Amino acid sequence: MIVKTLLAAVVAGLIAGVFMTGAQELRVTPLILHAEEFEGEAPAATGQPAGEQPAATDHQQHSSLSGAPTLSEMLAALSPVTPAYAHEGEEHEEGGIMFGMSRFSGTLAANLVTGAGFSLLLAGISLMIGYPITLANGALWGAFGWLAVHLLPAVGLPPELPGFPAAELSDRQLWWGATVLLSAVGLYLLALRPELVAKLAGLVLVAAPHLYGAPQPPDISSNVPAVLGAEFAVAALATTLAFWLVLGIVSGFINDRFLRVN
Amino acid sequence: MATSTVSSVPLSLSDRLTAGIIALMIGGFLVFGAGLANSAVLHDTAHDTRHSYGFPCH
Repeated sequence: MIVKTLLAAVVAGLIAGVFMTGAQELRVTPLILHAEEFEGEAPAATGQPAGEQPAATDHQQHSSLSGAPTLSEMLAALSPVTPAYAHEGEEHEEGGIMFGMSRFSGTLAANLVTGAGFSLLLAGISLMIGYPITLANGALWGAFGWLAVHLLPAVGLPPELPGFPAAELSDRQLWWGATVLLSAVGLYLLALRPELVAKLAGLVLVAAPHLYGAPQPPDISSNVPAVLGAEFAVAALATTLAFWLVLGIVSGFINDRFLRVN
Repeated sequence: MATSTVSSVPLSLSDRLTAGIIALMIGGFLVFGAGLANSAVLHDTAHDTRHSYGFPCH
């Protein structure tokens, strides 16, 4: 029964992942590709921060490690992917897409893994707190997942296009992870606990990472047009909302139909 | 509606918690691997996914 429960979540996640891939190809991926055309160029006519981007004129925009530009150029020339795409190829590993997949199949695979992962997390929370995901409440589950994982973190760290200025990666990942966690707990307290104190505590938890503040880049100049960034942020949030709604509803359907956990 | 051959035995509390913890662990691992892991190969494969899900990326 445990295995069946987990399988149900994985299946729902895979379905949502396939759906997400289709939705991405419509709007989000074209915007990413468009932005990559601007990615490698130096921000025009703005002061370069000293030592920040020593090789910003070539196409290795992430050379803040300033290790060996010639080596990274060689790697870029050997790599099957475009230089703009191999953001971190120059660090330690050569990068490239797993198993020689195409870019699209790499994205599809990643969406399937991510879908299954989020689905398992949602199912895990549902099991832990004892609120089954059903067809009737699946959309709500999905909406709350989207709030916790996408909208609330996006308040501090909006979805980025390639080439956008950003703070240190590990700082952002830490803030992002902490925000998702606090938002999830906060939303649980807000939505599912009847006590007034719990609701207040939930509000505090949801607000806390934003009062603390997300890590900000030292210099916000970018070559990527602002309009692209705005379109991308909306497109990313809209497609992830659709993803979570599909995930919640499909999970609920599968649970109702095949598990009857209640 | 679900009156078919499906087992309708609800999970016991301990089974529920076990399943929940396993689901959280596997789910967390998958999301971390696809979205956050600092590996060039994983990054390049999942690149467009990371951006469109709003994961912090490069």
